[in-house]
Amino acid sequence: MGPNLNRRDLIKLLTTATFASTLQLPAAEPGAPLFFSKDEFAILDTLTDLIIPTDDHSPGARAAGVAPYIDKSVAEAFLSEDKESWRKGLAAIDKLSDTIHGQPFLKATRDQQTALLKKISGNEEHPQTEPEKFFGQLKQTTASAYYTSSIGIHQEMNYKGNVLLEQFVGYDANAAESGMPPWSPDK
Amino acid sequence: MLLQFPITNNSEVDLKTTYDAVVVGSGAAGGMAAHVLTSHGLKVLLLEAGKYQDTSKVLHSMEWPYDHPRRGKMPPDYHALSAREYTFRQSPYAQNSPYAKVTSYVEQWGGSDYSKTLVVDEKQNPYTGTRYAWVRSRVVGGKTNIWGRLALRLSDFDFRAKDHDGYGENWPISYADIAPYYDKVDLYLGVSGFPENLPQLPDGKFMRPLKLNYASLKLRETLKGMNRCLTPYRAGVATDQLKHNKYRAHCYGRGACNRHVGGCDIHAAFDSTTGLIRPALDTGHLTLRPNSTVYEVTVDKNTGKATGVSFLDSETKKSYQVKARAVLLAASTLESARLMLLSKSTLYPNGIGNSSGHVGHNFCEHVMGPSIAGFMPDLVGKPRTLDDGRPGGFYVPRFRNLTSRQGDFVRGYGFEGGAGCGMTPGTAYTTPGFGEEYKKKVREYAGATIEMGGFGEVLARYENQVEIDPNVKDAWGIPVLRFNYRFAENERKMSEDMAKTAREMFEAAKFEITSVSDKALPEGWSIHELGTSRMGNDPKNSVVNQFQQCHDVKNLLVVDGSTHVNASCQNPTWTIMALCWRSCDHLADQLKKGEI
Repeated sequence: MGPNLNRRDLIKLLTTATFASTLQLPAAEPGAPLFFSKDEFAILDTLTDLIIPTDDHSPGARAAGVAPYIDKSVAEAFLSEDKESWRKGLAAIDKLSDTIHGQPFLKATRDQQTALLKKISGNEEHPQTEPEKFFGQLKQTTASAYYTSSIGIHQEMNYKGNVLLEQFVGYDANAAESGMPPWSPDK
Repeated sequence: MLLQFPITNNSEVDLKTTYDAVVVGSGAAGGMAAHVLTSHGLKVLLLEAGKYQDTSKVLHSMEWPYDHPRRGKMPPDYHALSAREYTFRQSPYAQNSPYAKVTSYVEQWGGSDYSKTLVVDEKQNPYTGTRYAWVRSRVVGGKTNIWGRLALRLSDFDFRAKDHDGYGENWPISYADIAPYYDKVDLYLGVSGFPENLPQLPDGKFMRPLKLNYASLKLRETLKGMNRCLTPYRAGVATDQLKHNKYRAHCYGRGACNRHVGGCDIHAAFDSTTGLIRPALDTGHLTLRPNSTVYEVTVDKNTGKATGVSFLDSETKKSYQVKARAVLLAASTLESARLMLLSKSTLYPNGIGNSSGHVGHNFCEHVMGPSIAGFMPDLVGKPRTLDDGRPGGFYVPRFRNLTSRQGDFVRGYGFEGGAGCGMTPGTAYTTPGFGEEYKKKVREYAGATIEMGGFGEVLARYENQVEIDPNVKDAWGIPVLRFNYRFAENERKMSEDMAKTAREMFEAAKFEITSVSDKALPEGWSIHELGTSRMGNDPKNSVVNQFQQCHDVKNLLVVDGSTHVNASCQNPTWTIMALCWRSCDHLADQLKKGEI
């Protein structure tokens, strides 16, 4: 099995292969993470959804499948340190939760989880501690995954481009040269 | 929609024929040489080191990120060098890398999976010496497959720069000599622009200009009061249909130009393959052979003239020789210099065309990095508009050291910029915090952003040079280039001034500034290498004459950016093509008269 095959491909392969029953494959729960343990994945999923939550404008990171995408990327990462930094980072967050709230991250309340993120995000430009450094990695990756998702591009950002314009819209020199026009939605 | 005609990767070449001309390299210069010489009825062989790849098929310009398994990124065993790596690693940068394939920094941009085969593998193509971010594209069409499309003219502030400020050398031509050829390039390939009547940035034969979005328009209005100009990006893009070229479409405003690293799968943006090479093939006078790595210009010992070139098949590594009445080097500024320095013989012990000792020297380019970002407060939270449905943003032409001397540096710089929100919001990476407040801010500020970055002239200095490193060879066994090239005081002072003037312009427009930097990026970043075989009238301090013929070897021409006497601060592609057209007209005339 190549590293590029994801679980969905695997299921597709199983259901379409004529001799599927003869394939020797490790038993895996459907939807189980590829790289992270169940708990690690749950922490990751919660963190991404705290960074970009659902609001009244659009669904957030959980709905956009950010954690499964990160899981898949980390599973196929080429360098082992790129995998280990995630494992260590999530462990550091779990440990920090224990230190400040007296319980593991997943057992903490949403308010406590938020308070923890506040603590490690206060120094974004010049992170010092390990959890602070991990926050940068986590946020960057979450943002990249969310804003390239269908929800991120269409529902959250209402992106108008990547369409063929019937008529190429050029520079309207007459209008523009007569002074600054008022803003309107089609400008 | 577009016509598809096969170009094969293993064209057979008649090695017994003496071609009228052999052209080395198929980018902007090589494509132009093929076009002009075949239009004169001459028999041309065009050799390209890389493969033919149909960018109509590989770029997938409109594929959404979420429809790609890695959101457009390269496979995990591919690696693009970062800006930092050029600093803390020693060249060759891919040496000892664990990755299967290493590319230059350009593949760090979004959608790199689509263009990963258009740039070279650094492992196969090493180089040594001082820090340099060297971007190369060995493929039919060369770097025009992914270029930034800014199509500018130079002016007599550049051609007669020594007269103006006393520094360096003048070109052996002035604007009047090249202006008719700029016009030809404009009309044959298409350029979009708005006339501004500026002496430092001459107007062209423009197609429809690009629309400026609102923050850009505001900056344009503001700069008018500062005796500066902001003009719509002068894009080498057909915004109207070209009637004479069936291989190219006009722009549909998809905003696809900067996604997938670069390139245009409908060829509205100029690329050498569809703009020049395919029409040249249609004349029946052109033979194109991809997969041909040229390693030597061959010489007649008695006459001293070039007789042709030796090349390896890039895949089989089998060696061939081909004869021609004229040899034109268009392999890129640095590769053409490498080829000349490699072509040593008893007649030319320092490399062909190099009796002056200037080949590889006077190497110059543009310094990049100083930049500014901010937002227009009036636009925060406004409904989303179509901000990227065009092939570029805006350009602020040079305003320093024109009518009077300003600052403690010579020459000048321009800014390239853009405003509004593309497919993914830049604010996602610059907005602090997390949660609902973060998400809302990213959304509301994305469309209000405006940013620009400077492109400054790096002075042509003799001591900035490349030479052959006999100890290191590329994957084909050919010795590589060693760089001895550094920015100096003038570039540092210019960079500081860029940040200063960028700030004063944004402040005048009442934009909120979010970041300003005066830091230069590593040498090479602009991908505008120039000057390694400069033109001039004096064979003692220049390599080629005004028609890009080597002073030493009249039937050897260097028709790429090598011959530029200074870098100007204007992007070079259009000038490379205009000069090449002029030289090839002259060469065709001489070949017909039997003078060569």
